[in-house]
Amino acid sequence: MKTVLFNTALFMLPLWLHGCTTIEPVAAWERGYLADPAMQWERGKREAKFAGHVYTSKEASSGGAGAAGGGCGCN
Amino acid sequence: MSKLIALRTDSRLVKSLGATLTALPAYQSALADAPPAFTEVGLRYSHYSEDSLPEDSVIFRSRSRYDIDVTQLWIEAPVGGAWSIALDVQNDAMSGASPWFVGLGLDGEPGVIMSGASIQDNRVEVGVTTRYFWADGNAGLAISHSDEDDYEALSFAFDVAWNSADNSRTWTASASSSNDTVSPVKERIPVFIDEESLNTQSIYFGVSQILSQTRIARIGLSYTQSDGYLTDPYKFADRRPDTHDKWTLSAGYRQFMVNMDAALQADYRYYHDDWGTDSHTLEIGWHQNLGNHILAPYLRYYTQGEADFFSPIADRSQAFYADDYRLSSYGALTAGVRWTVQLGDWGIEAQAERYRSSNDWGLFDGDAAPALVDFWRATVGLSWRFD
Amino acid sequence: MKFKRSAVGGLLALLLLAAPAIGEDVGVMAPGFSLPAIANATGTIDLDALRGDVVYLDFWASWCGPCRLSLPALDGLYQELQDQGLHVVAVSVDVVEEDSLDFLARYPVTYPVAIDTTGDTARSFAVNGMPSGYLIDRSGTVQSVHVGFKRGDEESLRHEILELLAP
Repeated sequence: MKTVLFNTALFMLPLWLHGCTTIEPVAAWERGYLADPAMQWERGKREAKFAGHVYTSKEASSGGAGAAGGGCGCN
Repeated sequence: MSKLIALRTDSRLVKSLGATLTALPAYQSALADAPPAFTEVGLRYSHYSEDSLPEDSVIFRSRSRYDIDVTQLWIEAPVGGAWSIALDVQNDAMSGASPWFVGLGLDGEPGVIMSGASIQDNRVEVGVTTRYFWADGNAGLAISHSDEDDYEALSFAFDVAWNSADNSRTWTASASSSNDTVSPVKERIPVFIDEESLNTQSIYFGVSQILSQTRIARIGLSYTQSDGYLTDPYKFADRRPDTHDKWTLSAGYRQFMVNMDAALQADYRYYHDDWGTDSHTLEIGWHQNLGNHILAPYLRYYTQGEADFFSPIADRSQAFYADDYRLSSYGALTAGVRWTVQLGDWGIEAQAERYRSSNDWGLFDGDAAPALVDFWRATVGLSWRFD
Repeated sequence: MKFKRSAVGGLLALLLLAAPAIGEDVGVMAPGFSLPAIANATGTIDLDALRGDVVYLDFWASWCGPCRLSLPALDGLYQELQDQGLHVVAVSVDVVEEDSLDFLARYPVTYPVAIDTTGDTARSFAVNGMPSGYLIDRSGTVQSVHVGFKRGDEESLRHEILELLAP
């Protein structure tokens, strides 16, 4: 059952991605919405660093957006 | 050993003053890369608390686990017209117990033997980052040092962002290197090493693209390689390879909903390493503007597959073995909410989240580790911007 | 099908934007405009009416970070050189006028500010980044274009303006 759900989600991914890949040119003066603080890639530099640190030390995975940071005693 | 890890209330403008320019996103490149306009100092305090283990999971010693208090202090300032510098100091105060090994309980089920009386440890990390800005991009160099009783790390990281001619696409690349020394404390539980070291190298490439006036997306690829002593010295039955190769493929999407004055955020990461673990991470958030506040609830689903050499009770007849729950198969769900407000030069943030994991929630097959962790975390922060 | 249309549309828009590209804008007559005033003036602000004086035309927005530095810096230049014939005209490209007014309440200036909610004026000047400043001489010709703003940019701008103000 798990694999069926997972495979279905994987098949849906390309359809979803296609919806996002139409690119419209946006002029410099039309970037107000994109500049809205709610549109940031990160929740705040220090929050992103902290959250990343928590998950990297409690889970097997690490990395994502940005190279792996410095060490700590987190295996 | 560390485990941790005015004004008018309905104006979007008042909130946008909170956006920092040192972020790398493509949409802000329309403003032509520049150092932050003002100096900012900030302080954040977080409390992280793991749930006590259920009675039937623990064979011996305390059921309670880790509690960590984290304080983050920073100052970030423009230097001249083209540079910025940031100093970050973080302190982690840890106490609690952690699993020492997994054995067979009287009920015939695997159970945890904990590490004994509460550990107290303190970690201090100091980092300095300098950043240079030019018309089409920016580049940064960061050095940081982390120090605690049993672990020391020195790391360097370099990153660069470059905007395309029409500023609709931003390319980013980064590389980092860390040199760590492990010298486990011997008074708590028997350990079998004195001092070992490990090195980690990592690179990342990414590109973000503006899709429309309200949509932006990015993808990225990273490769990380560690070599040296990678075993957990505080675990009785733990022996890991001395190299570890990790790959990630990530994607992100942001869409602004004009009618709702809110943004939908989605991020996905696929992870694969040569120890046999694969994982998927999916995070969805809704950032709602409310006057000069932002309220952002979020959900994160995570699932990982077990490492090749993992088993609930470590098999010491093999070349490599581990009973560490972090190498087992499971799924985890985080539900959280973040609140931020910008009041003139002052910024306030508060955040809370709850994390729960279970072997049943995972998409990958594998035996359940008896010591999966559940935790909650709360953070408050204050920042001040000045000339 | 959708991709093809947007690719062609994108190409056309790119050509349109490229027409008076930044480099080519220099030496070209500044396009005239008449926009509603939102601060330090009443009625409409007309660029052609300022012919004969030196004009620094600044496109800004409430969501533009460096504008928190550029607007006050330009006000300094304006207060110093307006007697010698310098005009500073700021044009906001905010879609919502209230956002511009809130920004000006926090970073007040003394020069006239107009608003271009449709973006047509910004398009006619081929604005390629925010903020964008156009230094226009007494004959109405664009002499230089400044994209972006960093601390200290007002110093080199001051020298350029003084040269154009010289009789």
